[in-house]
Amino acid sequence: MYKLINDFLTNKTSGVLRSIDNACIPFASDNTDYQQFKKELANGVELKDAEGNEMTPEQITTFLETLP
Amino acid sequence: MATYGQINAENITSSTGGVISPNITSLRNRIINGAMVIDQRDAGASVTITNTSAGTYVLDRWQGYGTVASKFSIQQNAGSVTPPTGYINYLGVTSASAYSVGSTDRFQVAQAIEGFNIADLAWGTANAKTVTLSFWVYSSLTGSFGGSLGNQAGNYQYPFSYSIPVANTWTQINVTITGATSGTWLTTNGVGVYVLFGLGVGSSLSGTAGAWTTSTVYVPTGSVSVVGTSGATFYVTGVQLEVGAQATSFDFRPYGTELALCQRYYWSPVLGTNLSSYVGIVNSTTSGLPIIPHPVVMRASPTATYSGTFSFDDGAIGTSTTSVTTNASSPNTIRPYFTGFSPTLTAGRCLTLTSGGTIAISAEL
Repeated sequence: MYKLINDFLTNKTSGVLRSIDNACIPFASDNTDYQQFKKELANGVELKDAEGNEMTPEQITTFLETLP
Repeated sequence: MATYGQINAENITSSTGGVISPNITSLRNRIINGAMVIDQRDAGASVTITNTSAGTYVLDRWQGYGTVASKFSIQQNAGSVTPPTGYINYLGVTSASAYSVGSTDRFQVAQAIEGFNIADLAWGTANAKTVTLSFWVYSSLTGSFGGSLGNQAGNYQYPFSYSIPVANTWTQINVTITGATSGTWLTTNGVGVYVLFGLGVGSSLSGTAGAWTTSTVYVPTGSVSVVGTSGATFYVTGVQLEVGAQATSFDFRPYGTELALCQRYYWSPVLGTNLSSYVGIVNSTTSGLPIIPHPVVMRASPTATYSGTFSFDDGAIGTSTTSVTTNASSPNTIRPYFTGFSPTLTAGRCLTLTSGGTIAISAEL
């Protein structure tokens, strides 16, 4: 399970928190944790927004399209 | 003006027959931490390999993986045997049970070499260079063991076999591998080459030794299964992958050099008592952002994992918190965002991270 992290200044999503170990993963295409996050998202893993609300599959699909 | 000559030779042989490598100041050994000296994560503690979806990093740059959880553990200097002469450390695998490996099971210890560090091998071209893998190995089992070299995609692999004739005795192994003239081999900061030692691999993932294949094959058919015997041990050190058809002596690099090579992929800041190394800004009464520069440029923008209680001061008041996420991450620095300061600090003042918890910073392959 993952939860998005918002930048405190811009309030835009800047990374993702991996719940199992509280790892903060940047949206960087050559980061292997990020690559794994994208794979798991495509396979339907649970994702919460920065406020802690579970995102719907449609919201996740839309969000995936914005990722690098 | 004096005129100097030039030596153009791949190897220079001494009068006693030893091979003197001409490139002694470069990364002759493409394996990092081949002597198993650096263990930043675990400091010699044993790690049971439980994650079945990805490799678990143990000694620096080395990862264990199994398709079934908890069948083996990895520990620096497990069993406390005397390493080969000249070495002080080894990577030790211990089997947790007598597991009968299924046809698609796979247990292994491996290192992923960054593409930048193998670019000169010209693999995937007609000019592919031959390499030699050498290592010392020790096991409670005897027989024909297996391993492989492979590409990032896992669709071009070279299984190799080696023999351990005597149990509980260090044996030196040399394996020469003809360069891969086909296949896709990354020469970027992605995985260039995997070097893998099999600890038990199923029949569907085993094949013919000594030849490149596009099949998914990790070891030669019939290789010894370490996880098949409860309490079996497999120790390895002095792992070297180098250009050429002959193994040269192990490239013992300075400790600081080896540590820095490892820190491109993983490091953890030392947050000792009153160590005021990391400063930043108190951006509100309850939050602040110290900047933590990496000791070397990392392979990629890293993942940071925080645990424990972190302590700060603003030059007048001390505070602490356990709440933190990463605000920014780059190959050069990370900037954590700590919140929930209690007592509160004065916004706008300089923030000093004085002691704390643990920050694990990883840009592993």
